[in-house]
Amino acid sequence: MTTPIRQSDLEGYLDEALPPEQMAQIELALRNDPKLLAQVTATQSRRDSGVHSLGDIWRRGRLSCPSRDQLGSYLLGAMPDEQADHIAFHLKQIGCRYCRANLHDLETQQAEHQPTVQSRRQRYFQSSAGYLRREGQ
Amino acid sequence: MTIPNQADSLLIRRIRDGEADAWNELIARYEGRLLAYVDTRLRNRAASEDVVQEAFIGFLTSLPNYDPRRPLESYLFSITAHKLTDLLRREGRRPTLPLMPGNASGDSWEPAGKARPPSSIARSGERRSLESSALTAAMTAQIDHWRNRGQWERLKCAELLFVRGLPNKEAATRLGISEQTVANHKFEFLAKLRTAVRGQGLPEEVFPELYEE
Repeated sequence: MTTPIRQSDLEGYLDEALPPEQMAQIELALRNDPKLLAQVTATQSRRDSGVHSLGDIWRRGRLSCPSRDQLGSYLLGAMPDEQADHIAFHLKQIGCRYCRANLHDLETQQAEHQPTVQSRRQRYFQSSAGYLRREGQ
Repeated sequence: MTIPNQADSLLIRRIRDGEADAWNELIARYEGRLLAYVDTRLRNRAASEDVVQEAFIGFLTSLPNYDPRRPLESYLFSITAHKLTDLLRREGRRPTLPLMPGNASGDSWEPAGKARPPSSIARSGERRSLESSALTAAMTAQIDHWRNRGQWERLKCAELLFVRGLPNKEAATRLGISEQTVANHKFEFLAKLRTAVRGQGLPEEVFPELYEE
């Protein structure tokens, strides 16, 4: 069953902030539904003209996201039940993509093959270090 | 809320001084979460790594404009989101939205908007930032208040209503509470935000949701 696409979903879509399955659902709908495309275009227009949405501000500021340390404690089961319950809610019901990414990273950190990680980081460094410069130079 | 931390601020200062070790440290600290963010969407490890690589380059080239009051992690996620969006559009997965007329930025991921002269855009950008900061502060204060008092139901309710955009009825069902309780939570939250907006002398018309029935 597909879930209805709401205005807040379109705002999250524009920020690439929704869970992947929801992003894919909206992409598909946008290809087939000119009205929805007009709606998302109008949403972007409203942003450009300076109208604020509470959801936009909340999502971009990540106002209710737990910190990385709190996510770590959540993984270890080392936090009060009610707080852990809220984090589970935030991850599953709200579907916070950034917190899910953090959690996934924390979960896989120890399991990943270290030489592979080092080689990847080395590649990132080598491809970008040329842009590193002292400011003002 | 993710807030700028001292370790990140120090790291940024060292990177701005051109320290290669600091740049290496930032990569090590953040690449895993950025890769997870991209790879859940692309499901293609090599392509995901390329996007993260572009994001790191984008970070260094945009560093002179980075405001250290902004949390580093959020800034990195937003650059990564732009790079990911670019890739998805190039691959035809993400539909291109109509461009605004006279868009001189050359940043083709920016969709349609009202055509305004640059001076007007610059002015309204500053103004919008001020408005957004004021509302962020008011919302953060309320969220902290709920957390400190263990009022998790109110926090969850606000997340469902304003982040997920659910109607009262659906939020009530998900939380196992009455629709009236949801309406009360919503009313109180919006009343507090309206007070903050009025207290800062901000224009009401740019926050239409605060005044909807």
